[in-house]
Amino acid sequence: MNKIRKQYFPFMRAGIQSVIAYRMNFIGFVIGGLVYCFVMYYLWNAVFLSSGSDTFMGFSMTDMVVYLFLSNATGEITFSSVSTDIGEEIRDGSISMRLIKPVNTDMSYFATEIGGSIIRFVVFALPVTIGIEIYRYCMLGRIMFEPVNFLLYLLSALLAYIISFRVNLCFGFVAFYVKNLWGIGILKNSIVNFLSGSLIPLAFMPEWMKTILEYMPFSSMNYTPVMIYMGKYGTTELFVRLAVQAVWALLVYGLSKLIWFGAVKKLCVQGG
Amino acid sequence: MIYAENLRKEFTKNIKEPGLKGSFKSLFKPKKEIVVAADDISFHVPQGEILGFIGPNGAGKSTVIKMLTGILTPTSGSCRINGKIPQNDRKNYVREIGVVFGQRTQLWWDLPLLETYTVLKEIYEVEDSKFKKRMQFLNDILELQDFINSPVRTLSLGQRMRADIAASMLHSPKVLFLDEPTIGLDVVVKDNIRRAIMKINKEEKTTVILTTHDISDIELLCDRIVMIDKGKNVYDGSLRELKKNFGQMRELSFEVDPISGLDVRKFRENIDLSDEDVIIKNDQNIFTVRFNSEAMPVGDMLNYTLSAAKIKDISVKDADIEEIIRRLYKEGAGGNE
Amino acid sequence: MRRAFKIYRILVAQNLKRIMEYKADFLTGAVSFLINQAIGIAFIFIIFSQIPALAGFKLEQIVFIYGFSQVPKGLDHLLTDNLWSVGYFIIRKGDFDKYLTRPINPLFHVIAETFQVDAVGELAVGIGLIAYSAPNAGLYITPLSVTLFVLAIPFAALIYTSIKIITSAFAFWIKSSGFIIQMVYGMNEFAKYPTTIYNNAVKLFVTYIVPFAFTGYYPALYILTGENPLFNIGGVVAVSIVFFVISILIWNRGLKAYESAGS
Repeated sequence: MNKIRKQYFPFMRAGIQSVIAYRMNFIGFVIGGLVYCFVMYYLWNAVFLSSGSDTFMGFSMTDMVVYLFLSNATGEITFSSVSTDIGEEIRDGSISMRLIKPVNTDMSYFATEIGGSIIRFVVFALPVTIGIEIYRYCMLGRIMFEPVNFLLYLLSALLAYIISFRVNLCFGFVAFYVKNLWGIGILKNSIVNFLSGSLIPLAFMPEWMKTILEYMPFSSMNYTPVMIYMGKYGTTELFVRLAVQAVWALLVYGLSKLIWFGAVKKLCVQGG
Repeated sequence: MIYAENLRKEFTKNIKEPGLKGSFKSLFKPKKEIVVAADDISFHVPQGEILGFIGPNGAGKSTVIKMLTGILTPTSGSCRINGKIPQNDRKNYVREIGVVFGQRTQLWWDLPLLETYTVLKEIYEVEDSKFKKRMQFLNDILELQDFINSPVRTLSLGQRMRADIAASMLHSPKVLFLDEPTIGLDVVVKDNIRRAIMKINKEEKTTVILTTHDISDIELLCDRIVMIDKGKNVYDGSLRELKKNFGQMRELSFEVDPISGLDVRKFRENIDLSDEDVIIKNDQNIFTVRFNSEAMPVGDMLNYTLSAAKIKDISVKDADIEEIIRRLYKEGAGGNE
Repeated sequence: MRRAFKIYRILVAQNLKRIMEYKADFLTGAVSFLINQAIGIAFIFIIFSQIPALAGFKLEQIVFIYGFSQVPKGLDHLLTDNLWSVGYFIIRKGDFDKYLTRPINPLFHVIAETFQVDAVGELAVGIGLIAYSAPNAGLYITPLSVTLFVLAIPFAALIYTSIKIITSAFAFWIKSSGFIIQMVYGMNEFAKYPTTIYNNAVKLFVTYIVPFAFTGYYPALYILTGENPLFNIGGVVAVSIVFFVISILIWNRGLKAYESAGS
């Protein structure tokens, strides 16, 4: 265990350092995300005004605000750029430099990224959560914060991160076949955003679609932790959802390993 | 032709301390520093000359070249080329110059080489008939025909460099700036490129300014050299003169009889020369003394060595330019290395 | 001017040749942007399954505004995409040197060099949505209104371009300004919906500070209602010209501050 800590800590530290070094890019993306949240806020505001009722498909406006911002913050914590990183490395051949290091390759990526996620959690997700609670207090006149839900949220967000990381890892290998990584990245993001419910809460979708999406890995990447935080699940459903997350984490882990071994073989054949 | 007067360029640089702590520190309190990349650089190049612009890494060579080509605006001072000030009249000025940065390419990466030339033809407004003649000329000296239809990304480094030089010559510039045109190339290719540069200079009276780290480039091509170090002009003159002033280093190599041996420390102690003027190396039974023949005549050194050890063989070497430059750098830097 | 046009044509031709070489990739890009936009619109349909009108606009009208907003955006994306690279890496890596050693305007040169076919996705969605919604959106159609409306499109695209020029030019001072482009460009989200849904501060912001409202909602509002052409269409022209002039001034100052890179 100590050896693992020693071996991977430098990667994690590098991850933290690179977020700091490229802090302006990070801030740019964060503000871009917040702008999007505000556009959506006004849009929902208009929707609630137009619908003339206090709730819209089971969501109050306060719920909607919490959902929008928390979903965005969760997206920041579970953000993974491993697909573009791997893609670039495959394309310029530097992936062979990673293969010759005496560490587990996907773990080295993981350690680098979790460093960045920790920073994003501290400087972004946490303040947003506090902001959300202040907003709820102002709107509802009482403190809505549930420590248990928050802890469960963290657990669920961690699972979400693992799934997001592994899915992105699998996706990175697309670079073997496609050169336009930028375009394909946009495609991936828009599909994941849609299927994970971070664009539209799954609760608003037609029943059959909602059921399918809830059992797909994408909802585990964002929707589940947010719903847990908001206390939208009863005890049984809560455990079902966490179990679904855990199962997907294992499945995509296995899948990424499988693809990885295939990729290494392919690399050896192609000669990098 | 080319006049540079008191060129100075300052950059501001962020300083980051190493490690995680340093990262956090620079996050809250970024440190800034003004770096003077070029300081009071003046020189003049007459038409048709090949000027070697040399200096160690980070001396400010590229900064000066970039000011001369109009890419950078000098902090103070000015330059005039063909009577034009690059920064004031950029568009007309660059029609008269060609620029090659050895580390970069101006060729269209994904397209066959010929396409680059047809685009540049339009950009520089070269007439059709002139373009044909020009391509013929460039083909003759740079031998492009073998790869002119290959995509640029498939070219070897040497081919790419030839193609880049051709690209910079397409519009028959009066001045050619070459920033490290032989970097990373093997000896044969280097030789090709040097011959091409020489030919261009001879046939078209093109003035050439080139920077390089390769001493042979200078020996074979340059009429004159300007050397800068730490942003300052430390030498301006002919290569011959430079050799005369700094070229008094000689190198004597002795093959010493291994049985009798030679005590290097004792040997050094008995020579009355400063460390600047003598370097002694001992590699198994080959013993090398490099020294300033002005401070100690070659005969004296020979006599002394012969008396100090049993010598089986001797060889004498002339000063090479690398040594001269090394010494010059040291003087320019005030010997604080 | 004729020379600029000729050079532009040749640079675009080079680009198309490159595209032909990587057909699959450009197809991927276009399809990606198309799906990206299509998913965005799915959202509107889901909302309208629950409410009859949004801020006084019915579904077809909202879809029309949304679709129209994609046209200037796509046009700008098609023509000036290289500005992103200027902000992200061309300046930082010192690759901008090349443009400064050529006898044409560097801004024109760097823009002309890329022809971004990915934008076809946005244009297709935009035109498709306009075609879908126009018959039922209750448009105000007269020869004059249609002329004015179509005329507004290039000016609206110029607003995008000017904003990209300004934000990418910051890289001349700070080396990499990709994040600023990202941040400001991202505000085009505001253009997709009626400005009446925002509060006054936001409305003023997207009208005069980062004037994306003129790239979508205002011109669309004109063709929807026929009202206030002076502001809704004239505003597009005026704002785009003002911003373009500002962008050129900032860009030219940036050129003087350009520091190149390394040696």
